[in-house]
Amino acid sequence: MAASLLKLESVGKDYAKVDARGGRLRLVWDLLAGRSAARVFRALDGVSLELKRGESLGIIGENGAGKSTLLKIIAGVIEPTRGTLAVDGRVGALLELGSGFHPDYTGLANIDLAAALLGLSPREVAAKRDEIIAFADIGEHIHDPIKHYSSGMIVRLGFAVATALAPDVLITDEVLAVGDESFQKKCIAWLERYLGDGGTLLLCSHGMYHVQKLCRDALWLKHGRVERYGAAAEVTQAYLAFHEEKTAQSKRPIGETTARAAGMYAIQSLELEPGDSIAQGDVLRISGEVFSPDGRAPNVLIGIVRADGTPIYGVATDMDGAPPSRIGEHRFGFVMTLPGVDLLPGKYLVRAHALDPEGVRLFDCVERTFVVIGSTREMGFVRLPHRWGSG
Amino acid sequence: MTGASRSIPTHRSNKTSGSRLVAGARDRALLANFFHRELKTRYLGSATGLAWALLHPLALLAVYHFVFTTVFRTGGSDGRSFLLFVAVALWPWLAAQEALVRATVSLGGYSALIRKVAFPHEIVVYASVGATLALQFAGYLGVLAALAAFGEPVHFEGLLLAVPLWLVLAVAVTGLALMLAALQVFVRDVEHVLVPVLMITMYLTPILYPLSLVPEGVRRWVAANPFSWLVARLRDALLDGNIAPHAGDAVALAVALAVFFGGRWVFRRLSPHFEDFL
Repeated sequence: MAASLLKLESVGKDYAKVDARGGRLRLVWDLLAGRSAARVFRALDGVSLELKRGESLGIIGENGAGKSTLLKIIAGVIEPTRGTLAVDGRVGALLELGSGFHPDYTGLANIDLAAALLGLSPREVAAKRDEIIAFADIGEHIHDPIKHYSSGMIVRLGFAVATALAPDVLITDEVLAVGDESFQKKCIAWLERYLGDGGTLLLCSHGMYHVQKLCRDALWLKHGRVERYGAAAEVTQAYLAFHEEKTAQSKRPIGETTARAAGMYAIQSLELEPGDSIAQGDVLRISGEVFSPDGRAPNVLIGIVRADGTPIYGVATDMDGAPPSRIGEHRFGFVMTLPGVDLLPGKYLVRAHALDPEGVRLFDCVERTFVVIGSTREMGFVRLPHRWGSG
Repeated sequence: MTGASRSIPTHRSNKTSGSRLVAGARDRALLANFFHRELKTRYLGSATGLAWALLHPLALLAVYHFVFTTVFRTGGSDGRSFLLFVAVALWPWLAAQEALVRATVSLGGYSALIRKVAFPHEIVVYASVGATLALQFAGYLGVLAALAAFGEPVHFEGLLLAVPLWLVLAVAVTGLALMLAALQVFVRDVEHVLVPVLMITMYLTPILYPLSLVPEGVRRWVAANPFSWLVARLRDALLDGNIAPHAGDAVALAVALAVFFGGRWVFRRLSPHFEDFL
């Protein structure tokens, strides 16, 4: 059985919540007295995980789910409020990729700093400096302070340092999201080789593709707690499914109360006639109501897209000079008739968006699916008027 | 699980009140790196930097000389050369002042590292204070040499006492700097309050005047200022060549160590929370 490099058991982290200046003084006093902060925000709770040598774990979750806090606990930057963290005694400093950098230092000085942070002597790193500079491939910028670097250049340097210094565990947070494509490919190729050689990886990413490709296991954090922890394929699929559902929910109309509170124009209903399924060439009537928080007539944008999201046609009321008609103080109705829907058979979506009276800002998106029935051997998704023969 | 498992890497070195200043070879390498960097960016980075480090106290010395010997004609230097009388005491004061002010805001400059990497944060303060004091001490030696060259009666054998005195000062200043730097992370006013407080303290310390000029009634209070003691001892050594150790020296060292450990205690209590407030 492989040795466990890293083991977290029901780890939690609370952050002190302070608002006013007096609150900060009070906090300092509490901390000095050895008390915990009076008011806390629970950033992480009950997180358990284990990482063995040669394993790869992806951490996924939405922004604010606690991914960075978890990485900080693993790297030892912060202490967990609850639970235990055990690190194999032989593991050197755990450093997030690209994090051991000081913005005022030049690229070269940062190579030395990162090496010092990892416990290497300047002499040891001197031997590897050329290799690092070559991998980073940022030319003369290596002599500039890295605060002038682009995020892509910092990641290049971070990866270059990691490749040369080979830490026990490679910890990366979203680094694959930056940098140009060729460099990303270079990094992924390097990561695959690193993992193939028995390296250990902890990857934090929004990109499910990277997690699926590089990680054996995945941990999904939601509101500071573990939502799911297991095989990467299974966890990422569950995560994607959750997001699809969430997106689908957002395609339903926003209620009037919410719209009023947010001061936004919002589609309240969307109806299709004759129904969700029409024959090719039939008349389609799209109607609905739209809410206006200030009582001015909003604009409505209607679009037809294919089931996969490919847009086919879209038009707004202001383009045609046909504003929705008032049916209440804050409610307006719209009707759009398509005399002959010459879409080829298949599944389509009608999308309705509320726009402000100026037709500038787009507020929401309400969808309806419909199916066009028919039998034809034509290709594409719309029949264009045509004729054969000369002129 | 094989190997000795440690709970929370590197933070242990921060938490246990061990006798080591900073633990481990890595931390020494880091201290060397930061110290070197502080020296470089602060004084060698700008063309006038190093000159300015020397010019500022020199200019102050010239102004005080003008004000107190030409305008006020206090002549109050216990019958000794006013220029040397002030220079010997002013330099360590300015060194301490600069070290405290710089160290107080030093953690901010390393926030990118503190937020992402586990290392004992006190290294930042050590590097900052160390760099300031090292340069100011070099300036001190330079000025003593210059004054001697102009015929001022400098007793160089006094350095045998002056160097340990500077070390005592360094210990105390480091302790204060640790406390101020840690507080500054949470309460940003520290840096703004510090400068006027230091200014007032300077005038309450017998740097520009001898203790003998202070009225009998308040002399006890002025003399109770630890810096008054340091100033008197430096003058004994460098103006009179009196380097015999004194019982008070041991007390001063004890006070300096108490300040150091007190400051470090405050720092270590607060440092686990820096990441959230920087």
